[in-house]
Amino acid sequence: MLCFFGLSSSHAQSLHPEGIFKSEYFSLENGLQIVVIPNNRVPVITHMVWYRAGSADEPPGKSGIAHFMEHMMFKGSRTIDGKILEPGEFSRTVKMLGGNDNAFTSYDYTAYFQSIAKQHLKSVMQMEAGRMRSMNPPQSHIESERMVILEERSQRTDNSPIALLNEQMGASLFINHGYGTPIIGWRHEMEKLTRQDVLDWHQKYYTPNNAILIVSGDVIGEEVYKIAQQTYGKIPARALPARKRQATPSIKANTFIKLEDPRVKQAQFRRAMRGPNYRLNKQEALAMQIVEDIVGNGPTSKLYQSLVIDQKLATNAGLYTQNNRWDDDEIVIFATPAPGISLDLLEAAIEQEINAIIEAGFNEDNVRAAIQHLQDSAIYARDSLAGPAMVFGHNLITGSVIDDVEYWQRDIEAVSAQDAQDAALKYLSPKNNRYVSGYLLPADRDSKGVQK
Amino acid sequence: MRFFLIVFLIVLLSSLNVSRANDNILDIQEVTTQSGIKAWLVEDDSVPVISLSFSFLGAGSAQDSAKKQGLTRLASNTMDEGAGDLSAQQFQKRLKNLSTTLYFQSSRDHFSGELKTLTKNQDEAFNLLRMAILQPRFDQEAIDRMRQANQSRVRSSLSDPKWIAARIMNDRLYESHTYALNSGGSISSLENITKDDLKTFSKTRLGKNNLRIAVAGDINAAELAARLELIFSDLQQTVTLQSIDHIGLQNSGNIYVHEKDVPQTIVELSYPGLARENPDYIGLQVLNYILGSSGFGSRLMDDIREKRGLTYSIYSSLLTLDKAQNLTISSSTKNDSAQEMLFLIKNIVQDLKTNGATQEELDNARSYLIGSLPLSLTSTDKITRVLISLMQHNLPVDYLQNRNDTIEALTLSDIKRIAQNYLDPEQFVAVLVGSPSIDKTDDTIEIQIVDSIPNAE
Repeated sequence: MLCFFGLSSSHAQSLHPEGIFKSEYFSLENGLQIVVIPNNRVPVITHMVWYRAGSADEPPGKSGIAHFMEHMMFKGSRTIDGKILEPGEFSRTVKMLGGNDNAFTSYDYTAYFQSIAKQHLKSVMQMEAGRMRSMNPPQSHIESERMVILEERSQRTDNSPIALLNEQMGASLFINHGYGTPIIGWRHEMEKLTRQDVLDWHQKYYTPNNAILIVSGDVIGEEVYKIAQQTYGKIPARALPARKRQATPSIKANTFIKLEDPRVKQAQFRRAMRGPNYRLNKQEALAMQIVEDIVGNGPTSKLYQSLVIDQKLATNAGLYTQNNRWDDDEIVIFATPAPGISLDLLEAAIEQEINAIIEAGFNEDNVRAAIQHLQDSAIYARDSLAGPAMVFGHNLITGSVIDDVEYWQRDIEAVSAQDAQDAALKYLSPKNNRYVSGYLLPADRDSKGVQK
Repeated sequence: MRFFLIVFLIVLLSSLNVSRANDNILDIQEVTTQSGIKAWLVEDDSVPVISLSFSFLGAGSAQDSAKKQGLTRLASNTMDEGAGDLSAQQFQKRLKNLSTTLYFQSSRDHFSGELKTLTKNQDEAFNLLRMAILQPRFDQEAIDRMRQANQSRVRSSLSDPKWIAARIMNDRLYESHTYALNSGGSISSLENITKDDLKTFSKTRLGKNNLRIAVAGDINAAELAARLELIFSDLQQTVTLQSIDHIGLQNSGNIYVHEKDVPQTIVELSYPGLARENPDYIGLQVLNYILGSSGFGSRLMDDIREKRGLTYSIYSSLLTLDKAQNLTISSSTKNDSAQEMLFLIKNIVQDLKTNGATQEELDNARSYLIGSLPLSLTSTDKITRVLISLMQHNLPVDYLQNRNDTIEALTLSDIKRIAQNYLDPEQFVAVLVGSPSIDKTDDTIEIQIVDSIPNAE
C-alpha cells in the first residue's frame, strides 16, 4: 500500500491512506526525514525533532554528555535567519506564543518538541533549525547547568533506593554496552563535562541527515515541507560516524543484586532480562507484545492472578518491556511481597508460575483477546495531539519504518499462540535467558529475611 | 446483566452552542435528561472514542474519620473490583476485553471517576459503569487485596522524601482540621475499614444531588441523555454530607525539618492563597505564572536554577480546595544549599510584593495563559477533565471565555495591587526533608524537628 508521488524533483512523498495515522512522509536533499500526521480537531500542532544520538553513543568517560547537550540546547543559539536567542530565550519565546516546549534524552536518541497554535509553526521551525545548525552556550551557563544536572541526578536517582537498584541492575544486564550506563550519567563523570564536550557532541551528531522532523496536528504535509525547505533546508549535511555499539558478551551466570537500606520500609523484587528488539527481530518483538499483555499487564494478567489473587504472596505483580531501543530491549518482572513473605519465596513462586505458563502455552482465545486489546489501543492513540508524534518518533529513530507504525495493527494480528509460546520460552525461561534479579530490602529484618 | 434496552427520551438542550459566537474555545452543550440528570457535552466524531468524567461533589476523603483515614481511597480502589453478578476478576476482564478503562479516584473534596470507551463498545461500557456505581459488591477478597496494596504503597512512600514532606506539610498546615489527615490512609487506619464502611460510603456519599458529569467525543446530545438516564436514574436522589469548616494557614512562620540520610533536601513552602470565586483569583493566577508556575522564564526558575544552578526544578502553584486555599512552592537542592534556597525564595516573593511585575512579564503571562488554552483540549479525556474541574468549583459553562476576557483586561496596577494584598513572605509554613545544613548561629532562622511522620504508620 505504499504509493509514491513525484511532487517535485527534490523529494518524494508517500501516503498511507489505509494506515492508522494516515501520515505523510518527505525528505529533504540534506537527508532530513519529515513525517506529518494530520489532525485538525484543534488548531494546534506538535513539532518535534529527534536526533539519532543518545547516551549509549557516548564515548568512554563522558557519560551524561548526551543529556547535558539536551540541557545546553536551551542556553543560547540563533534562529535560522540569524536572530540571536540568549540563554533561556528559546523557551521564553515559545511560551510568549502560547506554546509549551521541552526535550528528553534516552539511550538511543534525544528529542526536542513544542506544542503551539498552528500559526506559529514557522517560528518554532526557524528556532529549532537554528539550534540544529549551531549553538553557543556561554561558559557561565555551562557551570550553572552542570550543577543543575547533578541536582537532577540527586532528585531522580540518589534520593531513591529503587532507582539506585535499577541503575545497578542495568549495569549488570548490559555488560560492555552503553545501556549499562545510566542516561543521566555517573556523577564523577558528569562533574567533569566541559563546554568543549558539548560543542564536540553537537558537531558530531546534530546534523539534518541524523534527524527526523515530526509534525502532528492541524497542518498539511505540503505546508510543512515548504517551511522545512526554507529553514532546515539551509543546513548542509555533514558526514556522520557509523553507529558502533559494542556487543554484550553472552552472560554465563545469573546475577543477584541486593540493596539494603535503612530508608527502605517496603521490600521489592525485580528481575530483568534482555528481550527481542523490533529492528533486529520484528516477529519475536511482536510476539513479546502479546506475551506481555497476557502475562504481565494489569490485574487480569497471569502473574497478578497467580501471585496476588490465588497465592496471596504479593500485593502487586506484573511484567513490562522497555522497548523502542536500537539494540536489545529489556524485559522486567516486578513484584511487591505480601506481609511476612520473603523475597526468596516470592522469587521461587514467580519462577514456578513463569515455567507453568511456558509449559501450558497460550490459549488461542486469550491471544485473540490480547490482539484485539492492542489493536484498540491504536485507536486511542489517535485521540491525542502529541501521542502519535511520540509513536512515530520512538519507532523511526530506533530503526523501524513508517509501515511498521501505520500497519502495526495488521502485523500484530498475525501473531499466533505458538509464536507467543516460542517467545516466552526463549526470553522468559530462566533456562534459556540469563537474568539479573534485584532485591530491595529494609535493613531491619528477621533471620528468615522477612521484614520486621 | 447485559443491558441493551434503548429508551428514547425527550432531551432538553437548555443552551446549545454556548460559545459558538467565540468559536475558538469549546462548544459545550448542556444536556438534561428526563429525570433531571445534567451533563456538559463536547461532541466530536473525529475519533470513535467517548470519554466520560463524573464527580460526586463533597464526597471526598475530608469526610473520612481519623480512625478510618483512607476509606474514600479504598472505596475508589474497590468499586471497580466486582459489581452485580460479576466478580472482581470477571469485571476487570470484561473491561479489558472491551478495551475500556474505568476507574474511580478520590481527592480531599470529591469522589470522581472516568470512563473511556470505543464507540463500538459503548453499550457494555456504560452498563459496567452503571453496575459499578449502583451495585458495587465490595467482596471481602477485593477489600483485603486493595487494603494490602495500599499498605504496601504507604510503606514504599516512607522512603520517598517528597511524599514525607507532603505528609508533614498537610499535618502542620491544616493542623486539627480534617485536611490534616492522610487521605490515602495510614497502615493502621486502613486496617480499621470494613465492608460495612464501604457500603455505607456508597449509600451516604453518592447521590444525584452531588453528581456532576462531563462527556466528550463521538456521541450526540440525544444519545447521551438516553445513556445517562440508564446509568444514573436509579441512583438515590439526595445525600447529605457533613459540613466542613474553612481553615486558614496554621503554624505560620514555622520551619519543620525531618532528618533523612539523603544527598538532596526537599523544600516545600505553603502561603495563603485565594478561592476561585474571588474576583482577584485570575489576577493571582497571572502573578503565580510570573512567580513560578511557568517553569522556565519564571522568577523562581530564572534565579534559583538558571542563574545559580541550585536545583533541577522549582515550581509554584495555586491550591484551591473547597475549604482551604494556598500558594505553594516546591523544590529540592543539595543539603548544603537548603538554607540559602529558603532565603532566596523569601527575597523573590518579597520583591514581587513590593515592586509588582514588569509590563513585559504581564504581557508574556497574558499571551501564554490565553494562547495555551487549546493545548489543554487536544483529547477527549483532557476536555472532560477541564470541564469537570470547572463543575467542581461551581464555575459557569462560559467560564473559559470569560477567563480570557478577564486576563486580557488585567493591568499592571491590578497585578501590583493583588501582589500587595495577597503575597506575604512572612506568612508561610516550610517543610524540609533531608539533611539540610542549617546555620545554628543564625538567629533569623529557627527550625522545629519532626521525628515521626504523622498518620503514616
